[in-house]
Parts: sequence; structure tokens; C-alpha cells
Amino acid sequence: MQEETPLKRLAILLLALGLVLAACDSGSDDTTTTAAAAGGDETTTTAAAAAGGSMLQTVQDRGTLNCGVNDAVPGFGYTDADGNFSGFDVDYCRAVAAAVLGDANAVTFRPLTAQQRFTALQSGEIDVLIRNTTFTSSRDGREGATFLTTTFYDGQGMMVYAEDGITSIDDMANLSVCVLSGTTTELNLAARFGDTPYTPLTFDANDQLQAAFVAGQCDGWTSDKSQLAGVRSNFPESEGGPEALVILDETFSKEPLGPVVTDGDTQWAQVVNWVVLATITAEEWDLTSANVASYDGDDAGIRRFLGLEIQTDEGATTFDPGLGLPTDFATQVISQVGNYGEIFDRNVGPDTALGLSRGVNALWTDGGLLYSPPYR
Amino acid sequence: MKRPPFWRNIRVIRAALQIVAVAVVVGAFLYLGNNLRNELVAKGLPTDFSFLSQPTGVNIADSDFDPASPVWRALLVGIKNTFLLVIVGIPFLTILGTLIGVARLSTNWLVAKAAMVYVETLRNIPPLLIILFVFNAVILQLPPPRDPSTPLDWFVISNLKITGPGFAASSGAGALLAIALFAVLAAVIVGIWRTKYSETTGHHSHRVLWSLGVFVAIVLVGYFLTGRPVSMSFPDLDGRVITGGFGGLGSYFAVLIALVMYTASHVAEIVRGSIQAVPKGQTEAANAIALSGFQRLRYVILPQAFRIALPPIINQYLNFAKNTSLAIAIGFTEITLITFQAIGNGYPAPQLILLLMGAYLLFSLTISLLVNILNRRLQLVGN
Repeated sequence: MQEETPLKRLAILLLALGLVLAACDSGSDDTTTTAAAAGGDETTTTAAAAAGGSMLQTVQDRGTLNCGVNDAVPGFGYTDADGNFSGFDVDYCRAVAAAVLGDANAVTFRPLTAQQRFTALQSGEIDVLIRNTTFTSSRDGREGATFLTTTFYDGQGMMVYAEDGITSIDDMANLSVCVLSGTTTELNLAARFGDTPYTPLTFDANDQLQAAFVAGQCDGWTSDKSQLAGVRSNFPESEGGPEALVILDETFSKEPLGPVVTDGDTQWAQVVNWVVLATITAEEWDLTSANVASYDGDDAGIRRFLGLEIQTDEGATTFDPGLGLPTDFATQVISQVGNYGEIFDRNVGPDTALGLSRGVNALWTDGGLLYSPPYR
Repeated sequence: MKRPPFWRNIRVIRAALQIVAVAVVVGAFLYLGNNLRNELVAKGLPTDFSFLSQPTGVNIADSDFDPASPVWRALLVGIKNTFLLVIVGIPFLTILGTLIGVARLSTNWLVAKAAMVYVETLRNIPPLLIILFVFNAVILQLPPPRDPSTPLDWFVISNLKITGPGFAASSGAGALLAIALFAVLAAVIVGIWRTKYSETTGHHSHRVLWSLGVFVAIVLVGYFLTGRPVSMSFPDLDGRVITGGFGGLGSYFAVLIALVMYTASHVAEIVRGSIQAVPKGQTEAANAIALSGFQRLRYVILPQAFRIALPPIINQYLNFAKNTSLAIAIGFTEITLITFQAIGNGYPAPQLILLLMGAYLLFSLTISLLVNILNRRLQLVGN
């Protein structure tokens, strides 16, 4: 009698699925009432915690910063054989930790794939995402993310084998191109090729993509130019080394990369933002990790910035802009991590394997795009 | 005598327990669904499915998919690619698994040991590693697309795409397809008639020959009547463009080969166990009436073993269908890759994951429905 036919099972499972969908899809008006009835207190309290309490307090209570990073792009976010993280983005995680906790090493790095990163941010698994993430309107709007000051102005390029003699993307009709899945580069690639036929091969990790590229499965590798430079610098000698590869001159997208925090926490967003701005301000004033601790000049602006005592009519005081950060946070950031130029040169600059020049990532006074609002 | 109160009636207790169980499950789903929804609303994230009609913005390899097409079309392409893995993979893994399962019981020492090594190696390696191995060590070692090999001029083989001879259809092919479907129907009817004839007269039915003959005759006549709309087509290479022929991406073959080999090792064990579960008397009886080794397997052992093997083999079919999701590691555009791609491109994860679960559920339930129908037909009367 109790024969359980697949049809019955199907009906039951579809019913269950339908219920979940209905629960997700029900109008927002009755949600509050059902939540009160079914969800109870927990739902409302978690929502309140997300909206009310600041991440700044949470991080300071915890004592470490959870930072979402890349672990496969040399120069930006990379783990060495011993599991140590290094790179431009990684240094900005350290800078935030230095500002908020006074210790640049109080960071728990969370390596994330391109597809995982926003979910990790939304679910609270990470406090801040610094993983060569491009600032776009739909990410700003749909992912519940707040993008902060851009740390690296990048653009998308195409890397090909020198021996193929390709000089322009227009030469690449009917060829195959490897691209990381779930990235803005994938969208720009489709837009750049337009009606020209090509074969996109999408991988979710750089190492398998590199294997396919080495085997000649794809003729081109497209990504942010800085990433391509990192890959090219690390290209194995057995495959011809960096000289076997050419990065085409054409830049076919704008890729402003910077830190991302979750929507709805203005204080935390301001904190992370001013850490980035502090590294730029420090370079404007030639404050470096070497000289910042011994600064004893009387420039009022620099003394305000570093949280040093300022003589006023009513006695000595220190400047507190009310960001919720310690008054000496800039000193901590610069002495422990460095100013923008130091971070750039150390990870991706001319003396590194990537050998990138500052280009548009120079100070505005040098004709670049880096410009910090005044700290006062 | 006074009847006990109704709440001590075993039937009432059972029904009540079932109602409670269903209520708990439904309540849990509602609670989780509401929780998800509230969190999404609190974070200002979308909770509806309107994103399905937004443009995808990407191209998909080996398809004429247009970046302006909506997300749901991309998901359909993913489902089609998963389906192509499942529909081709299941017959192959069944045949390979049966052969190896029978080989494990061979009296030839070498054959039996070779089959044992195959089974014990492959079923103890995670399928993801087999896929990565086949992709990196076999497919990627083929010549690159800039310099493909063209054996016999019948194939164009590169690590990007493998193309072989296929069929090319011109106008009238639809009519021929209709005629072919009619021919299948006619063949089935003839088969039934021959079976009845054999049962009433006792003469040999030759039903397979009769059915095949009817099918071939009708299709041949139809082929010429419709003006020969189908012809052989060989791949033609012009620079990098391959026209004609029939083929698939290298990554498709990597997943297919790897998962067929992996799943066949499990099927082989089921087949071996099922053959051993057929009573020994059956083998002895077959020997006693002087059947050859092949006849013994074909007419006595395998039909009975198959009946035992079918239910556990369903599980392997389902595993095969679900394991195709591992193709994401080598970039084959099946449904999981397409879904994660959409998530990465800014479409909401909870809704897309829910759709992905629904897609695999659909695959699994369809397979289990079809095989269960077969299973019921094979059951012994009275079971």
C-alpha cells in the first residue's frame, strides 16, 4: 500500500521547493508579520545588529581584521610556499589593521575566488574586501557593496604569444581567449569583440587557465593589465619565460580597483576610506615609514595628520576629526606599512618582477589621478 | 466493553505523528526562507527573479549565444550542455561497466586481474582529480588549435575542439524525420505481431530481423521520396574556422571520458555482485543443457543479474549527473559554471543557487523516473 512512486516523490519535492520559493517571493508587506510569527526575535535582532552596531567596534572587540584577498595574482595578492600573504592589496589590509588595531599583523586573510567575494562580504565572513575588485555601478547597486577610494587605476588588456605575430585585438577573429569567469573582464571581452566571432574559455582559477594557455588551447589571455604583467613576470622559463609573451598596447576598459565594504555602515566605510586617503596624503608630504616616527617639524598640517600635539591658546591638544579612529592612526599606518608610493614600489613597482610604472597611479601633482581630500 | 479513547488508537497516533513531521519540515523551510528574505531585504539586496530577463553580457564557447540574450537563455544553454554529458555518458558507462564487471569474473587470470586493477584504482580516486588528469594529461596534450591534426581528412583534432564526420541536413529533413518516427512505430507494431505469431504457432519469430527490415525499408523509401535531404558531412578547416562535421569542445570530452571511466568502475562492482547473486544452480543448469559461455551469459545469467543490478545502478546514474558539476574546474560551460558565472557578474546568488538546485533535481528525478519504469517492467510477477 505504501508504494512510493517517483511521481509522488516528485510531487512532494516540487511542493517543498515551491514553498521555499513562495517564502522568498512573498510580498514585503506580509514579511514583517510572518517574520514576527515564524522567525521570532532572532531575525529582528540580527537585522538590527547589521544596521545599528558598527563594524569598527566589532573588529576592535575581536582584535583581528578579516580581510578578503586574492591568493593567485603576484604583486597584488599572493601566497608563497610558506602560506605568507604578500602584495599591494594585502598591504592595504595590513594598513587598515594598523589604523584600527594598531597592529599591521592583526589580519586574518581570507583567500576568495572572483565568484565568492561578494557573497563573503554580504554574509559577514569578511570585514573588508580588498581583492582587485573593479568599481562598477551594478556591483555598487546590486551586491549591497560600498566601493571606497580607488587604490589602483587599471585597465583591461590582452596577452598573446609573441610568435603568433598578433598586434591588435582586431587580428583575433575566430581565435580563442581565456578569461576568468565571473569578472568584469569577461563582460568587457564580449563587448570588445562585438560581432567578431571568437571562442571564450572561462576558468574559475588562474592556475588551470594558465595550463590551458600554455597548451595553446587559447590564443589570448585577457585580464587587468597589472594582473597580466604579474603572470607574465612569473611565466615559467620552460615555456619561454616572460619574453615569449606580449601584452598588446590596447587598453579596452576602465578597471578602478579598490577596497569594498558592505552597505549600511557609514562609520566603517569612512574608516577604511581614510586609511587609503592617509597613504596618499603621506606621499604628498613625503612622509615614509623611515621618517614618520622621527618627525618633529612644526608644520601644523602634518602635526594634525600624525596626531602630534598642537599648541593652541588653551594649551596642547591633538586633532581628532571624529572618524572613530585613534588620533595617531596615520602614524601607525605609515610606520608599519608605508605611504602609497612605498606600497606601490614594494609590490608592483619598477624594481619588482612586475616592473609597472606609476602611470595614472601617480599623485595629482605629478599628473596622475591620486588626490586626497584635505585632512583637517 | 468500553473502547479505548481515540488518542490511544494506533492509527490516530500514526496519522498525528505524520502531520507533526510534515509541519516541522514545512515550518523549517518557511523559517529558513523567511530568514533569508529578511536578511536580503535588510541588506538592500533583490529578492525576486526579475534578473532572469536581464542581458547576460557574455559569450558562451561553441554556441551562437549572444551577449544581449537574457540570463534564462544562458541557463538553458547550461542545462543543454549538462544534458549532452548525461545522455551520452549513461549508455557508455553502462556498457563499459558491464564489460568490466563480467571481466572481473573471467576465468582468464589476466583479464580478471586487469579488471580488478581498473576498478580498485578508479573508484578510489576522487572524480575531480580524474577530470583534471584527463584534461591536463590527455586533452591538453593534443595539438593546439593553431596547428590541429587532420587524420584521414575525416577529423579535425585540437585540444580546443574535436570534430569528426557528421550529417548535414537540407530542406526536407523535417519530413524525413517524421517518416523515420513513423518507421519506428511501424517496426514496433511488426515486432508485436511477430511475437504474437510466434506465441500462437510456435514458429521462430525472427522479430528483430522483421522490425529492422521494416524500419530500414520505410526510411530508405522516404529518403529518396524526400529528395535525399541528409548527406554525410566532413569537417572542413579554413584557417581557424571549422565548417561541417560533428564535434564538441575538448573540455566536453575530458569530462565525459573522466566521468564515464569513474562511474563505470562503480557499475562494474554492482554488475559483478549481481552476477554472483544469481544462484549457482542457474549456471549449472545452463551448462547442463550445453549452452556456450556466451549463451549462458546472454540468456540465463545477465537477464537475472540485470534485475538485481538495476536499483543500485540508478544511484550511479544520479551520481554521474551530479558529478558533471565538477566540469567547472576545467571550464566546460555546463549549468553550474553558467550559474556561477551569472553570480560573478552581479546577479543574485540565493535565487540562482535555488534554480541550480532545481535543475539538478529535475535531472535526477527524470533519470530515476525513467529507470524505475524500466525496473518495474523487469520485476518478476508476484514481487
